[in-house]
Amino acid sequence: MDEERNEVEELAARARSGEAEAFEALYRSHQAGIYTFILSQVRERELAADLTQETFVRAWQSLPRLRKAGAFRGWLHRIAANLVRDEVKSGRARLEVAASVLATNGETLAPEPRADAAEGPEAMLASQEMKGAVWDALAELPAQQRAAVVMHHVEGMSMTEIAEATGVRPGTVMSRLARAREALRKRLSRYVEGTDDLS
Amino acid sequence: MICHKVRRKLAEYAVGGLRGRTRARIEEHVRDCAACRAELAALERTGGLLDSLSLEEAPAETWAAVQREMRGTERVPVARRVRWAWGTAAGAVALAALVVGAFVLGPMGPAEPQLVVATEVDEEMQATIEGHLSAVWAAPLSDEAAVGLRLAVLEDDG
Ligand SMILES: [Zn+2]
Repeated sequence: MDEERNEVEELAARARSGEAEAFEALYRSHQAGIYTFILSQVRERELAADLTQETFVRAWQSLPRLRKAGAFRGWLHRIAANLVRDEVKSGRARLEVAASVLATNGETLAPEPRADAAEGPEAMLASQEMKGAVWDALAELPAQQRAAVVMHHVEGMSMTEIAEATGVRPGTVMSRLARAREALRKRLSRYVEGTDDLS
Repeated sequence: MICHKVRRKLAEYAVGGLRGRTRARIEEHVRDCAACRAELAALERTGGLLDSLSLEEAPAETWAAVQREMRGTERVPVARRVRWAWGTAAGAVALAALVVGAFVLGPMGPAEPQLVVATEVDEEMQATIEGHLSAVWAAPLSDEAAVGLRLAVLEDDG
């Protein structure tokens, strides 16, 4: 993790001084996180792709002003979140996820957790269905809670990093995650209640 | 601790947000109370479901589009300094402009907002900017930052 962060820091420093190759490497390692984050906030894939593009263009333009190269990921999210917010203000996007959009696409690219893969197509399908339900439930959360959840659970950002990215205190991030967890636990009760055999 | 008090804190416990005494008390209670233990398990399974979601790749053509725009983009070298020529008022405008580097203007602005000058910023300025960013985050475009950017852009154009 630390090594990864150091590498990002070094790349960001090189990109800041104008190395396009370093910036491309940063793009490669951050595009999926940014795209997923944006897609979780706006409805359409096409719009999410446009905003992802815009995020990186702006990042390239503004990089000379990034002081702490180690804060690159949080900074990038801040740019993305500002773009999303402006998009929402303009009325072109709503802060709701088209859950079906996220549920049906891309999931198979990632390694399946636990024993799913070993259990054949039916289990895979069940897992897909469950993830669809999770994205559905996420879509109903307030935008800030959803953003915190996606950054933390899907992108693997720490509460401190999320706090930096969103300009709030870590305690606020924690309570957003907790409120989100409570709400999701209720909405996903059929998957998470009394299933001792799953644990 | 009694059940309903524990329940109020259980989600915070589950996300790893509790320390010290409160945390210890909850752990103690959950050891002895099957109902709260089941509730905690449900919250933790919810976290497990969230962890199982995967990232999605941006469309392949996105990078090419970014690159095209990078070529047509002018970056201002780091070394250039802002001149605080008009005292505090202009300083505030320039600061606001710095703060909103990542902003798009709302309907009041020109169609393509300019990204404003890059500068060397000292520690104090950085702190001010970061503090201000929080405010901007909380109240987007409703504060002086938006006005500042607008003024700065107009300044630039004129
Ligand atoms: Zn209890």
